[in-house]
Order: sequence, then C-alpha cells, then structure tokens
Amino acid sequence: MKKRRDMGWYALFVLPLVFIFTTVVIIPFIIGIGYSFISWDGMPLNEKTFIGIENYTRLFADMRFITSAGHTVLFTIFSVILINILGLSFALAVTGKLRVKNAARTLLFMPYLIGGLILGYIWKFIFTDVFKSIGEMMGLTKIFFSWLLDPTYAVVAMIIVATWQMAGYIMIIYINGIQAMPEDVLEAAKVDGASFWQTLLRIKFPLIMPSFTICLFLTLSNCFKIFDVNFSLTGGGPSNATEMMAMNIYNEIFSLSNYGYGQAKAIIFFIAVAVITLIQVSITKKREVEM
Amino acid sequence: MKLRKLSSILLATTMMLSLLLTGCGTKKESAEETKTGGSTVTEAPKAEDKEAESEKPAAASKIIIFQSKVEITDQLEACAEAYTAETGVEVEVWGTTGDDYLQQLKIKLGNNQGPTVFSLAPGSESEELKAYLSDLSDLSFVGDIAANMANEIDGKIAGIPYTMEGFGMVYNKSLIDATKVTDFASFEQMLKDQKAAGINGFSLSQESYFLIGHILNTPFALQADPADYIKKLVAGEVTMQDTPEFVEFGKFMEAIRANTNNPLEVNYDTETGDFATGKTASIHQGNWSYGMFTDYDVTFDMGMMPLPISGNDKVAASVPTCWYVNSQASAEEIQAGKDFLNWLYTSETGTKYLMEEFGFIPVVATMTSPKLDPLSQSVSDYAAAGKTISWPMSKWPTGIVDVYLVPIAQEFFTTEMSGTDFLTKLSDAFVQAGK
Amino acid sequence: MKKLGKIIFEVLVVAVCLVYLFPIYIVLVNAFKNRQELYENMLALPDSLSFEYFAKAMDKMNFLRAFGNSLLVTVVSIAIIVILSSMTAWMLVRTDHKLSKVLFMIFVATMIIPFQTIMMPLMQVMGWARDTLHIPMLNTIGGLIYMNIGFGTSMAVFLYHGFVKSIPISLEEAATIDGCNKFKVFWKIVFPMLKPTTATVMILDVIWIWNDYLLPSLVLSSKTLRTIPLSTASFFGQFTIEWNLAMAGLMLTITPVIIFYLSAQKYIVKGVAAGAVKL
Repeated sequence: MKKRRDMGWYALFVLPLVFIFTTVVIIPFIIGIGYSFISWDGMPLNEKTFIGIENYTRLFADMRFITSAGHTVLFTIFSVILINILGLSFALAVTGKLRVKNAARTLLFMPYLIGGLILGYIWKFIFTDVFKSIGEMMGLTKIFFSWLLDPTYAVVAMIIVATWQMAGYIMIIYINGIQAMPEDVLEAAKVDGASFWQTLLRIKFPLIMPSFTICLFLTLSNCFKIFDVNFSLTGGGPSNATEMMAMNIYNEIFSLSNYGYGQAKAIIFFIAVAVITLIQVSITKKREVEM
Repeated sequence: MKLRKLSSILLATTMMLSLLLTGCGTKKESAEETKTGGSTVTEAPKAEDKEAESEKPAAASKIIIFQSKVEITDQLEACAEAYTAETGVEVEVWGTTGDDYLQQLKIKLGNNQGPTVFSLAPGSESEELKAYLSDLSDLSFVGDIAANMANEIDGKIAGIPYTMEGFGMVYNKSLIDATKVTDFASFEQMLKDQKAAGINGFSLSQESYFLIGHILNTPFALQADPADYIKKLVAGEVTMQDTPEFVEFGKFMEAIRANTNNPLEVNYDTETGDFATGKTASIHQGNWSYGMFTDYDVTFDMGMMPLPISGNDKVAASVPTCWYVNSQASAEEIQAGKDFLNWLYTSETGTKYLMEEFGFIPVVATMTSPKLDPLSQSVSDYAAAGKTISWPMSKWPTGIVDVYLVPIAQEFFTTEMSGTDFLTKLSDAFVQAGK
Repeated sequence: MKKLGKIIFEVLVVAVCLVYLFPIYIVLVNAFKNRQELYENMLALPDSLSFEYFAKAMDKMNFLRAFGNSLLVTVVSIAIIVILSSMTAWMLVRTDHKLSKVLFMIFVATMIIPFQTIMMPLMQVMGWARDTLHIPMLNTIGGLIYMNIGFGTSMAVFLYHGFVKSIPISLEEAATIDGCNKFKVFWKIVFPMLKPTTATVMILDVIWIWNDYLLPSLVLSSKTLRTIPLSTASFFGQFTIEWNLAMAGLMLTITPVIIFYLSAQKYIVKGVAAGAVKL
C-alpha cells in the first residue's frame, strides 16, 4: 500500500517535467536524427526521398563545411586560451587587497549579461565605423580600419568579442576557486619566504585546478557552439572566413533549403561537441587527482 | 512490486511518446499524399474538403499579412487599418526584420501557422513554394495586369505584382553625359576622368544585392535565353568565362576595382549619401533608392542609364515581389485574402495607398500614379519605350547570392584576383548551389 | 616603494576596466547624437543631452510592450522551471531506483545538444500539437514558456540534484514520522533549504531567457508578442541602418539588464559561481 502511494508521489513529482522535457527536447531530437537520412527542403508539401547515409557521406566532400569546422576549431582554441588567461588574471587581480576590487568585479562581469546578438551589433559598429574613424583621426589606418572586411582580422574580431563577453564570467568562477583556498597554506608559504611567482605556480595553480576544469568545459562548449555573435557580428563574412559550424548549419537549412542535409550536419556537430567536452573533462579530471 | 509499478509508468510514458511519434508519422504521410496532387498550384484543397457548396465561400473575418518589404511596413499597417474601417475585416500585419523573412515564412508555412497573404520574389522562390500558393486567376483585375508582370505558375496566376522596379546606373547629370558612356571603353574612361577630378566615378555597396546580385544580373539578361543559360550553367555545360557578355562583365569589374573606392567599405547609406552630395558621380542602384535622397538638398538632376556591358542600352526592370495567398489556409481565409487584394487593387482607398503611400509604379492598366519621382519616371519611360531587360537573378538557385556570390565578390574586391578567375569561381558557385 | 607599486597596480586595474567598458561608452554617447554629429566624431561626448532618439527608438521598438512580454516570459518560465525541476530532482535523489538514475543521466546528457539540431523538428511537433490537439503552442507566449521550460530543465535538475544529495535526509524522515505527506515534506522542509540553488538557477535562467533570440524568433510571429531581442533585431531592418537611433535602441535593451545586475549583484555573482562549480 505504502509502495503504491510512493509511486503515485513519484509520478506526481517527476512526470510533468519529464513530459515537457520529452516533447520539447527528446522527441524533436529523435525526429531530427530521422530527417538526416532523407533529402528534403523542409516544406511538408514538397517531396521527401529516403537516401540512407548519403547526407553523411556527402559531408566529407563538402569543403565549405570542413572549412567551417576548421574555423570553429581555430576560433575555439584561441578564444579558450585568451578567455582563461584573462579571466584568471582578472580573478587574481581583484582578489588582492585592492580598493577598487568590488567595482572592478562589477564592471568586468557586465558584458556577460548582454546577449550575444546585441553584443554582435555593438561590436559591429565599433569594428566598422568607429575603427575607421579612429584610424582617420590618428593616422593609424594600418591598425584601425574596417576589421570585418579582412578575413584574418574578422576572425580576430570574433575572438575579441567572445573574450570580452566570457572573460568576466570565467573570472567569477576563478574568484570562487581562489577564495576557497585554505588561508593557512598561503600563510605558511609566506612565512617560508616563497616569492610571488613561487606561490602562484606551486600553490595557487594546483589549488585552482578544479575551477580550471569547469572553466575549460564552459569556454570550450560555449565557443564551439557559438552562433549569436557570429550571426550579428560578421554573418560569416568576409568570403566565409568567419563562418562557424553552427552558422553553416543554419545557412544550409534556411538559406539553401537543404533541410535533410543540414540536419545530418547538425547531428555530426552534436557528436563533435559531445566528444570534445567528454575528452576534456576526463583529461582535466585526471590531472586534478594527480595534483 | 515496486518494479512493476515503475515499469507500468514507464510503459505509460512510452505509449504517450509513441502516440506522439505516430501522430507525427501519419501527418507526414498525409502531407505526402497532398503532394502527389499538389505538384501544380493547389487550388484551395480545403475548399474541396468541405464540398464547396457555393462558388464563393464566406470570407473569414480576419486575415494575416506577412511580407518582406520593410520600407512599406508603416504604410501597410495604416492601409490595413483603413481596410478594417471600410470592411470590418480585421487585418494583422506581422513584422519582419527583412533579413530572415524567407526563413521565417518557410518555418511558418511548414508547420501550418502560415499567414493568409504573403510575399515572395517571383521565380525560384515562388517555384519552390508553389504547393502553398492559391490560384488567383479569378481576381477581378487580373486581366488588367501589364503583360508578363503577374507570376504565372503552371498556367495559373499565382502572384499579384507589387510594383515595377528598375535598376541601372543612377547618375548625376551634371557630372556624366549619359550619351557618351555606351560601352566598356567609354565607361572605363569615365571612371578615370572622374578619378582625376577627385570624384568617385561609380559605386557599389557592401549589401549582397547591391554588391554583386544586381550587377551580375545584366550579363545574364543579355543572353538569348537567360533561363536556359542558367540551367546549363548549373549543369556545368557552359561557363561564364567562355561567354562573351560575362567576359566583358569581368572587365567592368576589374575597371571598377582599379578606379573606384572599395565597395566593401561603403554601405547603402553612405553610397547614396556620397552620391547626393556629389562625391560620387554614379551608383549602381534602382529607383527605390530615391527615398534615401530626401534627407539631402540635392542640387543636381539625376537620371538612370543602362550599365553598358557589351553595349547594353536597356535598364533591368521587373517585378521584385508579388502577393500570394496561402493555399493551406481555410477556404474562408483564402477568400478573405483574395477580397483584400481585390480591394487593394481596385478600390479608391486601396489604389491610393499603392500609388501614393507605397510609391509603387503602376502595373495594372486601370491605375495611374499622379507623380513619380525622377528615377521611377526613368524606369517607367524605359519600360514604355520597350528598353528593358529582365531579372534572371530571380531564377538563380535559392540563397546563392548571400551564401555563395557575396563571399566571392568580397574576395575579388580585397585581392588582386583576375576577372577570369572571378568568373571561374562564380561559375563553380552556380554548379555548387544548384546541387 | 612597495606602496608605489601597489598604486600603479591599482591604476592599471582601473585602466583595464575602463578599456573594458569602451563599447558600452560608445553606445551611450552615440545614442545622443544626430547623424551628422555621429559621423563627425564617434568618440566624443555628445554636444547636448537630447533624449529624442531614445523616445523615437522606444516608439519604433514598441519598447514597453516588448519589455512587458520579456518580463512575462522570463518570470513565468523561471517560476515553473524552479518548481518542477526542484521537485523532480528531489524525487530522483530520494528514490533510489534505476529509473531515477536513467532519467538523471538523460537530463545531463541532453545538456550538450546544440539548439540547431532540434529547432526544425521542434517546430513541427509544436505545429502538430496545435493542429491535432488544438493546443496553441505557436505564436503564443504560453507556447514559448512551455518550450523554455523544456530547454531549462536539464541544467536546473542537474544543479538541484547536486544540492539535494548534500542535505541530510534525517529532517525529512522526522517530518514523515510526524505525518507529513511527501508534498508537505517537500514544500515545508526541503524547498526552503534549496534556496541557494534556487537563486543560482533563477539567475542563470534570467540571463539566458531574457537574451534568447533564436527560439522566440521561431515561435512568435505577431508584432504584439515580440520580446526585447526580437524587437531589437527588427530594428536593424535590411537597408535603413540609422546608427544613432540603433544605439539608442541598444542602450534601451541593455539598461534593464544592467539595473537588474546592479540591484542583485551579490546574489548574481554567488549564483553564477555556484552554478558553474557544480557543473
């Protein structure tokens, strides 16, 4: 009797959410996998043909998709490194005995609250119009020109914007890790006459390894999946030089109406995200233990 | 015991899921069935379902309009209010950002929440979505629509034209003598002369169609059979680099790159601004750009002239957009949508909005526009004289301009790529996009 | 000497912060300029403080309406996410059974699904629900909220799950002995203890839902239903970019977020950190 009542409670507590979650995420995901095996433009009244794994084999010859994967990897590597270095430096700076530390934290975290789409619009204005006008004013047209028109600088622009957005967020997590450090260990190091760099490298870094795992995970998956900023800042241009994978999929499905094919790309994209994040977590977790 | 209960819940959940899944499955099948009969323009299938007792079903009391021309959004809303005031039919106008209009429309049509009346570019867009287009042949004014202006699909009128638009070289009459720029040599000379005088001779701008879409249209339109040429190009049977008009187009582009400001650094706003203030002698634009000059005191006369590729003496004029009625809406809604279009094109208030508020060039014989701006007048004159070429760009593979052509043009304008290489890449893009 | 170094360091930090806020400065000053002033010098302070463009942008964006919609969507979505996720997570932890483990694993695994993978099928499922079941899932605020809940649960369940595991079961057992049913036990005893995680979930979800663009753009068609990101995007219509007006619009868009942040700063910083650490 009690068991039955327990089951009732279980259902009451769990089912509503599971139901919503299933209809919104699980079912569409399964349907999506199904569509990746057909050739279709996405309009229900138009023709669908089952073509097996052709969408997937075609992927490997699609230079544009492969290039976009390359951009994504490049962008992710640079952004992840930059964001973490900057975030950690900020964290170290504002956990010291600074008078302005609270204000600094507030300001540095602010960009994270502004959505990626809006951020993209703001920076687009800066990289095109403001940069041009700075260049003309200061005679530095070699450095300050419309960055979004140059394939290399446009990627740099993407990295800068992503860094600007995420560094404050990552900083918060590192701050948390630093504050959780046992005071006595640091004190002991000081007493033993350890220098600033020794303390940093030998004591602080190992102690914040767990925060590092988290930050790496967050920056990796966020940068890899980037879409909003890409969409509003560069739109993938110039000459597709900044087209990331998410954007490529979006274009394939909506601009070129290759729905089945785009869906196949999306599935591959999902697998890539899953593999990368899993590998990263398992590697850094292992290091945490060793330390 | 516990396990059994659990599994029964699991079973219930799975059943619910499978119900949902099969539900989707059956829907797909039925959609497929409609498809077999729907390869032509669907004639209001729902009307048949309901065994259309009379010829003209009762009209719904509300319609939804979704359209791509952002410039007329405010005016269209005012027009919708006027319609409601006159007929009592409620009109809701959905907003668009312009950029993702087609994507939004497809999603909405695809999951059956489509608008009643919507717009498309006649050509590959309307062709792709033809299963969703009602037959509008029975609208009262279709007989008066100017020749070749309505969008006919499989012998039926599906799209009602918005307006006629034309583009070419919009030029400053005090800086350029149109009669002297008639071929490549004189065009290049003009660019050099202007450059020597410190003026930018000709300008494109960074937006996709203003950068490459419109200007590339001209060599296509100069082919004997543009539609056939596109088919062969996509199939890889012909290439641009072997077609004389395109080779000449390549020379034009090289001359433009060598003698004018980089169009990638110019946007529509600055392009028209520099023209209005006399810093640019000519821009590759259409009559729609006239609205951009109203912010300035323009002190010179302007006009439109053909881009003289291979001696071309015609401007590219066509219908950019048509109205369509959603065939998947209920019979009542379809009727209401048709009623609205009838009102827009025949009633005094409706035509007033079309001509005066939207600033359209008349495409229906019964309509006249009281006062056209100079550029629209130019287009209208060229059309009257039969000196127009068509817009084969509307038959290019969907999405090709933004996804393929713009990146190539960006590369062309930022490197030393030769005209021939440029054409080779463009040809490849057509093959790619047509797959 | 050491003191001097400290001052220099302090000044350096301030300098970095100012550079960091440069983009927001640009938005702010240019929102007050007319077009000519803007093109003359984009870095300078405006000649006068006229709110003309704010008023115009507010009007064009239908700002108050959009703000109301955004507020409604955010508040209701988060309230339901918090209620349902905390209940579910608690049950999953406290019921030691294979099903609980499997469900939890599924929640966690789906956290990495990119939205692009499911957006089109999702729209079809919702379209089907509307046509067949006559549940208005599309072009309604309710539908958007429903989908937000679906996307928000994974992370919320995950965060609550971690926290519930760390609280001792003894209090709950005592309450059960006193004759409380599960519902009461949860709401009277457990839920109040979950407060820190609730704060975390709310904050992370505010940042996400308030700024979300892609999902609302697919779900909402009517102008009157637009949320703030949608009306901002519509502002950047195809050709007529008027940057000064646009800057005013952007400023309007980010102001509520900044006010929210400044007023709840302490909780936000804590919440974000806590949320991340559990990941």
